[in-house]
Amino acid sequence: MAVAKTLEAPIEVYRFEPGKDAKPRYDRYTLTVEPHTPVLTALLRIRTELDPSLTLRYSCRSSICGSCAMQINSKSRLACQTPIGPEIEKHGRLVVEPMRNQPVLRDLVVDQASFWRHYDRIEPHLKLDPRHPMPEGKPNPMTPEEVARFYETPRCIACAACYSACPAVEADVDFPGPMALAKLYRFVVDPRDQAHQDRLVRIQTDGLWLCLRCHLCTEACPKDVRPSERIRDLKELAIAAQGGTEPGSRHAIGFKENIRERGQLQEMKLVRQSDGVGGMLAQAPQGLRLWRKKPEIAKKPRAIEDLDQLEALYRELDAPPKDGT
Amino acid sequence: MRIAYYPGCVAQESGRELDLATRWVAKALGIELVEFPNFSCCGSGFVDEANLTLNVAINARNLGIAERAGLDVLTVCSTCQGMLTLANHRLGDPAMRARVDPALAKIGVPYRGTVKVKHLLQVLTSDIGLDAVKARVRRPLAGLKVGAFYGCHLLRPGAEAGFDSPEEPHAFEDLLSAIGAEPVMYRGRVMCCGFPILFVKPETANRIAGRQIADAKDHGAHAMATPCPLCHISLDSFQNKAEAAVGRGLDMPVFHLPQLVALAFGATPDDIGLPRHLVPTGPALARIAPSAGTSPSA
Repeated sequence: MAVAKTLEAPIEVYRFEPGKDAKPRYDRYTLTVEPHTPVLTALLRIRTELDPSLTLRYSCRSSICGSCAMQINSKSRLACQTPIGPEIEKHGRLVVEPMRNQPVLRDLVVDQASFWRHYDRIEPHLKLDPRHPMPEGKPNPMTPEEVARFYETPRCIACAACYSACPAVEADVDFPGPMALAKLYRFVVDPRDQAHQDRLVRIQTDGLWLCLRCHLCTEACPKDVRPSERIRDLKELAIAAQGGTEPGSRHAIGFKENIRERGQLQEMKLVRQSDGVGGMLAQAPQGLRLWRKKPEIAKKPRAIEDLDQLEALYRELDAPPKDGT
Repeated sequence: MRIAYYPGCVAQESGRELDLATRWVAKALGIELVEFPNFSCCGSGFVDEANLTLNVAINARNLGIAERAGLDVLTVCSTCQGMLTLANHRLGDPAMRARVDPALAKIGVPYRGTVKVKHLLQVLTSDIGLDAVKARVRRPLAGLKVGAFYGCHLLRPGAEAGFDSPEEPHAFEDLLSAIGAEPVMYRGRVMCCGFPILFVKPETANRIAGRQIADAKDHGAHAMATPCPLCHISLDSFQNKAEAAVGRGLDMPVFHLPQLVALAFGATPDDIGLPRHLVPTGPALARIAPSAGTSPSA
């Protein structure tokens, strides 16, 4: 077997103890490692060999427990799953920081209270219909097709890498975060759960529509749960269940109807469809500001050719989708 | 090269300067833009949320139109790029095919799935190539520090987008270097601009935009540039709101990608619609040599 060439890895680690340190600092260590050495292994070597005060969370070292998520060269990753070599090759250094969007307790350990609070709020457990209890001693059966609708989400290990990567979490405390929403999706499409309509109604006002669909969560997820896709699914199910009751769902439906008319977006009309007349008035000063430079926003665009083809697709495919019950 | 030009809604409406600059650059590089007045809106991510199957069908129709003409598609918007590319991928699911194909057959626009969707950034860096771009530069943008701002859907989901690294891309910075500008690296360059929730919760959307602009500024950028006109709306048209949301002045000129390329090729500000921007681009232009005013074919 070929022996991997070792490398001298410069590692910069975020250090901070709130209440004691005035501000965070970065301690620099150099380790001789093999390229495939996981970042976690290097951190544990630092703690054992160089600096016993380094504080971090970890347990299984096998991408199962979800304890060691952190920022590795600015990406949300599991330290146990991320080899050092490619990072050094790409960036020339390795910078290790605590997860974002959660306050630092010490060094690489963050306070995950908000992450778990959002998770609790979605009530992450089956709500069986009391009129139809699970048969005594028997599993409650699902068909393979029913299970296939949510087979990705049970892979989630609640590591919070998605929560750390999410710009909506960063900007708005009302956004539940990718993990909570992906887990919610799992219960919404579970045929045994009797509360999915209630769940959909509630999440419409509990932050569902704050998702930016930037897909940073999907890139960060170590288990390929693809939270952003599950959130998209939830939005479509919520619209099917309730229609446009919230600014977010109104905007999505408004957009869909807007382009149906001419095949092209009518920018000014969209504001009215999403925000109503009151919203339009509120936007008027900004609209006027834009109109002075970009007068096209007030004009109707030309209709596309073969608009009837588009209309035919709408008539064929725009029946409200079912929610799988 | 000949390619089907998919300008997208914004470049034909409030972002018309993007269309002007795209045509200027295409002419300068001998790219023939074939136009299809029957292309429709891509759904901009919103129709995708309201009705996934409909959105795939709408974009399969657009791709079917290009396929019939035997052409690949050129986009100038990260969101159009993402929606058309996702449609290509989602049609790989037989269940989706089974729903979409009969509807497409009824309107007489079948789509086999052979069309490649390429953003202008990809065409410039891969098809045309950075050497050819560099050779066409008449006025290097030396002295101008630019923060590239990618726009999510050009990059992610990475498995489908298949363009550059979804979290650590470099194509845009490579292009900026090729036209003589100095790329600025900052975290916000791959983040969201806030546009998707501009009509849902404006103050949050504006705060997100403000943070990315402030991040670019704090890393020394004189200007930002984006391959996405929706990002341009957030970053330029609503920069006044972003400033209010983050509580500081930003004064950050934001260029559309082809505008910077056209400037380096010798275009004048009027050629590429710079007076249409909400944030004046003058301070950025003052850092580079003035153009003598050359035509794209010069």
